[in-house]
Amino acid sequence: MNVVTRGIKNATRSPLKSGAIVLMFAVSIALILSMLVARGSVLTKINDLKATTGTAIAIAPAGVQGGQGGGDLLTTDQVATIKNTANVSSITSTLTDQMITSDTNLTSSLQLGGFGQRQARTDTSTSSTGTTRPAPTPRINVTGTTDVNSISTDGSALKLTSGSTIDANGTGLVALVGSSLASKNNLSTGSTFTAYGQTVTVSGIYSTGNTFQDSGVIMPLSTVQTLTGQAGAISSVKATVNTSDNVSSTVAALKTALSGKADITSQAETAAASVSSLQGIANLTFAGVIGSAAAGALIIILAMFLVVRERRREIGVIKAIGGSSGKVIAQFTIEGLTLTVIGAVTGLILGVFVSGPMTTSLVSSSQSTSTTASTTGRGGAGFGGAVRGGFSQLGTNVTQVTASLTPQIFLSAIGITLLIALLGSAIPAWLTSRVRPAEVLRTE
Amino acid sequence: MLTVENVSKTFSTPGGQVQALKDISLSVKTGEFVSIIGKSGSGKSTLLSILGALDNPTTGSIVVDDTQINKLSGGSQTKYRANKIGFVFQQYNLIPNLTALENVMLALEFGGYPANSRLDRAIQLLESVGIEEDQQQRRPTRLSGGQQQRVSIARALANQPAYILADEPTGNLDSATGKKIFDLLHDLSRSQKTTIIVVTHDLEIAGKTDRTFTLQDGKITTK
Repeated sequence: MNVVTRGIKNATRSPLKSGAIVLMFAVSIALILSMLVARGSVLTKINDLKATTGTAIAIAPAGVQGGQGGGDLLTTDQVATIKNTANVSSITSTLTDQMITSDTNLTSSLQLGGFGQRQARTDTSTSSTGTTRPAPTPRINVTGTTDVNSISTDGSALKLTSGSTIDANGTGLVALVGSSLASKNNLSTGSTFTAYGQTVTVSGIYSTGNTFQDSGVIMPLSTVQTLTGQAGAISSVKATVNTSDNVSSTVAALKTALSGKADITSQAETAAASVSSLQGIANLTFAGVIGSAAAGALIIILAMFLVVRERRREIGVIKAIGGSSGKVIAQFTIEGLTLTVIGAVTGLILGVFVSGPMTTSLVSSSQSTSTTASTTGRGGAGFGGAVRGGFSQLGTNVTQVTASLTPQIFLSAIGITLLIALLGSAIPAWLTSRVRPAEVLRTE
Repeated sequence: MLTVENVSKTFSTPGGQVQALKDISLSVKTGEFVSIIGKSGSGKSTLLSILGALDNPTTGSIVVDDTQINKLSGGSQTKYRANKIGFVFQQYNLIPNLTALENVMLALEFGGYPANSRLDRAIQLLESVGIEEDQQQRRPTRLSGGQQQRVSIARALANQPAYILADEPTGNLDSATGKKIFDLLHDLSRSQKTTIIVVTHDLEIAGKTDRTFTLQDGKITTK
């Protein structure tokens, strides 16, 4: 029998006492693991949310949305202000317009349909002067932009089915034509059409898969500004921020800089509440890891202090018959490690079963609180409904947090456990082994 | 040869300083069987602890085979105990979680005995003190007082020490068993030339040793 087998054998000499120590330690290990798993899952979800919301900020003139509303277009100075705002890495400026039959020789590929008929009813109503407006015809959407890819509906580069792209920062009378509009008007690369009294050459045909987008025309921003007589005017700007962490602060800076002249929105703002509540959980679980580790360490240290204390005479005898302090420390450390390993294995198994429900419970509970607070705070039927809808989607995303037990988390838990065991058993054994044998044998 | 020169030992207690040994000097020849007698509290066990390097004297020196053991470091004193000293205690002091065999093997491990021959050596020692095969596998709590003391003696003999220090080895035993244990120690002294120092309050046992030192209030009064 050597010091290792002796240490292991000693760990099981009192099943009741050892069982109690193991059980207490297992609970703290299960808590450590659960907290690590919850924290890992929540941090992953936060990163996912940040990645999903992206780094884009949409800036439109105040009062304008989707070609409706009222107000002044953004000016060159305001665009310069946006571009020079801290953390803004790039901007894409856009000016949209709609060509009516007198502006172009093209025929719209869109059908009025039910939606169009509803608009027609409004537009053909009698005016205050008593004259009746002409019945509307579908218009052709014209987009002037500094980046043609901004028209893409899925965030990727604009897909050209033929021809080549245009220089969006140029001033040429060139255009990319949507596939539906091109088909309706028999346009192909190199064809020309009339717009605002000018002849424009088709540089390429694009397709997005979106019927509305594929019924429009894309031209360089400056060209549209010139053709429509709106020099320097911008109807919307998409600002890209350097990192997702800076989106909220950049939105705030832009709101201050543009002093209410523009409506500024970002998905990051909408997600901020969810990220904030998840961050709260992450902080809570981190505190939980520290608390559980401290409790585990305290359990082992106190237990081993008691074990060593009640076996001072045994230590005195071991030293009296020639056992070195190193042998004493090694024996008690192995004894402590044995209890710890048994407790850790039990705790890890327990933790695997507990961590999943615990993570889901933590996230669901927090998200429920967050949603309730948000809807109550904002109020309002229409706007409130929209907010509820947005948060409902985010809530769905958040509840998808799953308890993922990565090797990294396992190694962290095992590392913390072994450190606790080593310190918890070696320290009391070392303190006792320093006592002279005669003193122990005399007093015990 | 063991020589004690002008050894004093003082303990600090809540009630003040207590001088357990006062200027003790004595010498014991190799192979001698000596006893130390005295009343309770006279300093017998303290002297034995100092001779076995379990404690250090406040003043004075203990020279064992040309080595002043009270000047050795803690680690060297541990080696000294492992290789040169065998202790026999009144309370036996066997490790309760280990069998009789394992208790003896523990001393062999500390003495640096080769691992592959510890078992044979332990069996041989236990048989030599009259512990039978089935008793060798028992834990101390399942052995009688006399059997435990025999195991304790086998453990003390494990590393063939030059000195055996026995602190009231028969104190907890009935007279018949005590006599057997004493005879065992006596035989060892004669057959293996082991120097044995026994602390006892039993004058009959003391009378059978080669020499007797009497301690009274920390001083040797007769040699």
